[in-house]
Amino acid sequence: MNRDEHDRMKGATPPEARGAEDAPDSHEWDRMIATFRQAAPRGSAPPWLEQRVMAEIEALPERSTTQRILAWLVSPAPVRVSPLTVGLAAAALAALLLWPGRGAVGPNGGDMATAGSTEQVVYVQFVLEAPLATSVAVAGDFSDWEPSFLLTDSDGDGVWTGRVPIRPGVHSYMFLIDELEWQTDPNAERYQDDGFGNRNAVLAVGASS
Amino acid sequence: MAPPVERTDAQVVRDVLAGDRDAYRLLVRRYGDVLHAHALCMASSSDEAADLVQRAFVQGFKKLHTCREPDRVGAWLFRILANLCKDHVRSPRRRDVSLATLAGALPSREDPESDAADAEIRSRVWSALDALTPEQREAFVLKHVEGRSYEEIAAVMDLSVASLKMRVHRAREALRGLLEEYA
Repeated sequence: MNRDEHDRMKGATPPEARGAEDAPDSHEWDRMIATFRQAAPRGSAPPWLEQRVMAEIEALPERSTTQRILAWLVSPAPVRVSPLTVGLAAAALAALLLWPGRGAVGPNGGDMATAGSTEQVVYVQFVLEAPLATSVAVAGDFSDWEPSFLLTDSDGDGVWTGRVPIRPGVHSYMFLIDELEWQTDPNAERYQDDGFGNRNAVLAVGASS
Repeated sequence: MAPPVERTDAQVVRDVLAGDRDAYRLLVRRYGDVLHAHALCMASSSDEAADLVQRAFVQGFKKLHTCREPDRVGAWLFRILANLCKDHVRSPRRRDVSLATLAGALPSREDPESDAADAEIRSRVWSALDALTPEQREAFVLKHVEGRSYEEIAAVMDLSVASLKMRVHRAREALRGLLEEYA
């Protein structure tokens, strides 16, 4: 790792950007910045904004009990644990990991685990960018097309993710947004017609070695 | 009689999540202007800017339970708006309307007599800004137009200060070249 890469890893300013404000033509740049600031559109929020936001919010349906429970489950909450609890949990985890016959970690980031004694599943990561969604679920032939696997967006950036256990093989799937709108995965490797005028995304899950 | 104690952001978030929807208007009042100022710099028209802010607040309400730091809900709402603005900048529909149109349409904040000359300058610089990538444009606007600190922007955009400085630097270099073209 060279010096620049090291600095970058440490969060230092890259050399290209370092001292840009002190460049020889900084006066020219200051004038340009002043021009930008002067040209910037300004203005307070329109007086009707609050009324419109609140009207739209009031029109939203109340969240169902299921949604509240799910929201509670996925919402971050502070958890206080004592060092003794941490030690016991670590010991239990170590015992579980050392137990003979447990699943192995598979290649390409897919965690392999055993389901029952003979059936193997692969945990597949699903990702969908849906900034306006309030819930996203994935459904496919692996779930009998029931949207039973919910994705989460814990940081609120509009990117929903979730890991789903799937048996090896070729599977079709779709996303269900807000329990209403079906959407094909825009980033799928393959697609196939669903026979109803839409396309399903197709996923090939390999068996672990 | 003692004046009423204003609820903190964290208290407002808690009240809204407990079912007091009307409490959300406090957040709209507190952060409406800040969000609107940013949206104006990213949108194609003042109407679109207001629409983006409205969508950000409604989306924020829908996902309020995912806000990890309720005492920083303002920054969280800003991040939602920033993502909406970037999507807006990328959208093909928006590309049909130059932001310079907005800059030219807005009234001058300086001497009213020099409106014509100002309009020309505004149109030129905002045309240049329109040519940046959404990420460069966002970084440049936050730093040099809105005058925020690198640390503040990095926290909102979830970037390291070093990455942010690089982005701003590249935006400035691109703008420099573009403005030379227009000169």
